[in-house]
Amino acid sequence: MTRSWMSFDKALFIRWRLLPALLIVAVFAIIGAASLAALLFYGESSSWAEYLSNTYLWRIVRFSLWQAFLSSIISIGFAVPIASALMHRQFFGRDALFQLFAVSMVVPSIVAILGIVVVYGRAGWISRWTGIDVPLYGLLGILLAHIFFNLPLAVRLLVQAYSLIPQGQWRLAYQLGFSRWYAFKYIEWHYVRKALPGAFVLIFMLCFSSFAVVLSLGGGPRSSTLEVAIYQALRFEFDVSKASVLSLLQVVICSLVAVLVYRFSLPVKQDGSVLKLTVYDLKDTVWNKVIDFVVIVLALLLILPPFLAILEPVLSVVFWQTLKDLKMWMAVWVSLKIALPAAILSLILGLGFVFVARYARLKPSLNWLASMVEHLGSSILMVPGLVIATGLFLIFRQLGWGFEHGYWIVVWVNSMMALPFVLRALTPIFYQQEKRYQLLYSSLGIWGVSRFKLEWPLVRGSVAQAFGYATLLCLGDMGVIALFGSSGLLSLPLYLFQLIGSYRLEQGASVAVVLMALCVALFILSTRLIGGKQSVKN
Amino acid sequence: MRFTSLVTLSATALTALSLSTIVMAEDKNTLTVYTYDSFAAEWGPGPKIKADFEKECHCELNYVGLDSSVGILSRVQLEGSSSKADVLLGLDVNLMTAAEKTGLLAPHSVDTQKVTVPGGWDNSYFVPFDQGYFAFIYDTEKLKNVPMSLQDIVENQELRVIYQDPRTSTPGLGLLLWMKSVYGDQAAAAWEKLSSHTVTVTKGWYDGYSLFLKGESDVVLSYTTSPAYHMVAEGVNKYQAAPAVEGFYPQIEVAAQLKSAPNPELAEAFMEFILTKGFQSHVTTGNWMFPVVDMPLPEAFSSLQQPTKVLNLPLEEISKNRNAWVNEWLEATTR
Repeated sequence: MTRSWMSFDKALFIRWRLLPALLIVAVFAIIGAASLAALLFYGESSSWAEYLSNTYLWRIVRFSLWQAFLSSIISIGFAVPIASALMHRQFFGRDALFQLFAVSMVVPSIVAILGIVVVYGRAGWISRWTGIDVPLYGLLGILLAHIFFNLPLAVRLLVQAYSLIPQGQWRLAYQLGFSRWYAFKYIEWHYVRKALPGAFVLIFMLCFSSFAVVLSLGGGPRSSTLEVAIYQALRFEFDVSKASVLSLLQVVICSLVAVLVYRFSLPVKQDGSVLKLTVYDLKDTVWNKVIDFVVIVLALLLILPPFLAILEPVLSVVFWQTLKDLKMWMAVWVSLKIALPAAILSLILGLGFVFVARYARLKPSLNWLASMVEHLGSSILMVPGLVIATGLFLIFRQLGWGFEHGYWIVVWVNSMMALPFVLRALTPIFYQQEKRYQLLYSSLGIWGVSRFKLEWPLVRGSVAQAFGYATLLCLGDMGVIALFGSSGLLSLPLYLFQLIGSYRLEQGASVAVVLMALCVALFILSTRLIGGKQSVKN
Repeated sequence: MRFTSLVTLSATALTALSLSTIVMAEDKNTLTVYTYDSFAAEWGPGPKIKADFEKECHCELNYVGLDSSVGILSRVQLEGSSSKADVLLGLDVNLMTAAEKTGLLAPHSVDTQKVTVPGGWDNSYFVPFDQGYFAFIYDTEKLKNVPMSLQDIVENQELRVIYQDPRTSTPGLGLLLWMKSVYGDQAAAAWEKLSSHTVTVTKGWYDGYSLFLKGESDVVLSYTTSPAYHMVAEGVNKYQAAPAVEGFYPQIEVAAQLKSAPNPELAEAFMEFILTKGFQSHVTTGNWMFPVVDMPLPEAFSSLQQPTKVLNLPLEEISKNRNAWVNEWLEATTR
């Protein structure tokens, strides 16, 4: 009797410790749901059935599913050999390439579109040098742009999975004289494939809700996405409830896809190394060299040319004039003012989520909660930022607050939007920590802040990644801040759009270069400051 | 860095950054004008108009730049009567019905007799402030077989065309109305013909225009005034607007005063100011549009394509049929 009381008490106690983390998850869920609800019940809600019976709507849903599926399969398919080659080969510029991979996803869509067009377009490099006319507009253009955005992201996510491979396994492989193929088959694949479903779902969602890329490179309204319909409903028709019904539809579709993917994927049972990553030299053959070489060249060919096209303005006079422009530096300051607090907030949210998820993951009875929390964190990707911001604004208005609080809405929504990326970076390492040391920590009675302090040296690399991603995403945000206008909040991406919105394309392109340079700088800075010296290498 | 120092650092950063948030000053003597970004930009007409108006009113004019014409309206719709705005500047004429329906606008008392928009101006809520015509722009050095009409553009299967989506952009909607007023019931067939040689349909004006400048199409939907920008700002003469024998479809941009304006007197004064020289003289090379009153134009503007005929659809008809016409376009182009 006393014993069972004791254990009950203990379980309760452990859950109490989780309270702050649970609170964070709850606040996130409540605010998210409240802003959607505020939209749903705004004005007279018209008939749901009418919106959903539109045949065009289902045609674009079908198209979106198809293009998102292809984009994510191709991105991930390529990413597997590229990640493996990058892990085993050292070459000049490898680290720089890796940093460049981190920023691809924050390139503003119009800049990326123009980059793609400069390379593959009618007057582009390929057609000029080889005479081949690339049928860019249509599925091909959409795929090229989506691969440009997501292949680097996929590579980075997979490389992260490599850091979970215990050093001992590499040593063993080395001693047994494993070839690259054997090492891949018997070691790497087991870790990589666990990261695949998460990466797939993340990229799928990004592509499913892609907007400007699909419209501009799609070659006509046959290629469209739900996001376009949501934007149209919210901005042009000011049919708020329609916008929220469509957003919900998008959430439902992506959730179904996620459920399907996780159903067929392996249960997440993370384990692995906690020591720093050293890849031993494996037995090398000419064939291995050739394959790795081809893979890396292919990756470079896919990713680098659009980047070079985007960075081209550096050679122009306009670029150096832009650098002297005070207004641009003001925009840099505004961007930092939004991105840094948003990234910190996002990190706090992310830590709350992983603390709950890792606790639940190891309890068979609570395993569902872990999956749910994880999915809750990523589902935000499927709701357009503009929708959440509008919803939040409606709530604020109810509370009697006006646009003076616009800054805080922008910060909050940005931190929510970055959460999926933060979670992708944090979950593997925290699950692993839990699995390895949870019993030790609990037997020693170490918890809370003291436990985090002990874990810090082991997790800081991933925390740095998470913070870096969050900063980058918030820095590149367009959707949310656009709602609030430029009264004191003219961020770098907004400034860019202001420029190209009034014929100043060259200056706009120069600002894009500044934005990317800033992203790279902040990413490196966050890896060094938060990640410490040892994580710099990877 | 140690964990504790990280916590301290982030805490300090959060507070420091939040304290630096700009708090909008609520001044009795400040006129707040919602407009679109490029109007308020330092190179736009906004700053010069501000300077001229402030000289007259002894007040401060404050722009809130929003992402687009539609952005202005949806911002006010969101804010309702608690809006801090006095004047909305930059609504497209096709948004007038929607804007009026919000019930947030106050009638103006400006004498619009001297307004030179086609068909004259008679509206109790809106005052026009600039005008232009939608047109297809081409590069004279590249395109030899210049289209002379909208029909040429629709039917020439060799011509690579980029235009904007009528669901998400003002010029796109403009083309929709242009097509409708030229082709009427035959619009669907015309769209189908056009779609077979359309390169792409972009989200906004700048996506399409940038693609055109990168050489992706022979023509792009823009304004008759676009060539003036290249002439004046860049000294480039090769971009021209294609003529249209059927007539051009106009774009008129309008301003309105809010019922809930915190400073109604200043708002009224500004509405009056719109049709004066202090405002109108800046719209040409500032906003790259034509003024709405008679006045001498800069040299580049006199060389521009002048409409021989101006088309116009009644506003009620537009607001009644807009969705149907968008659907017609969708049906025809996705067939």
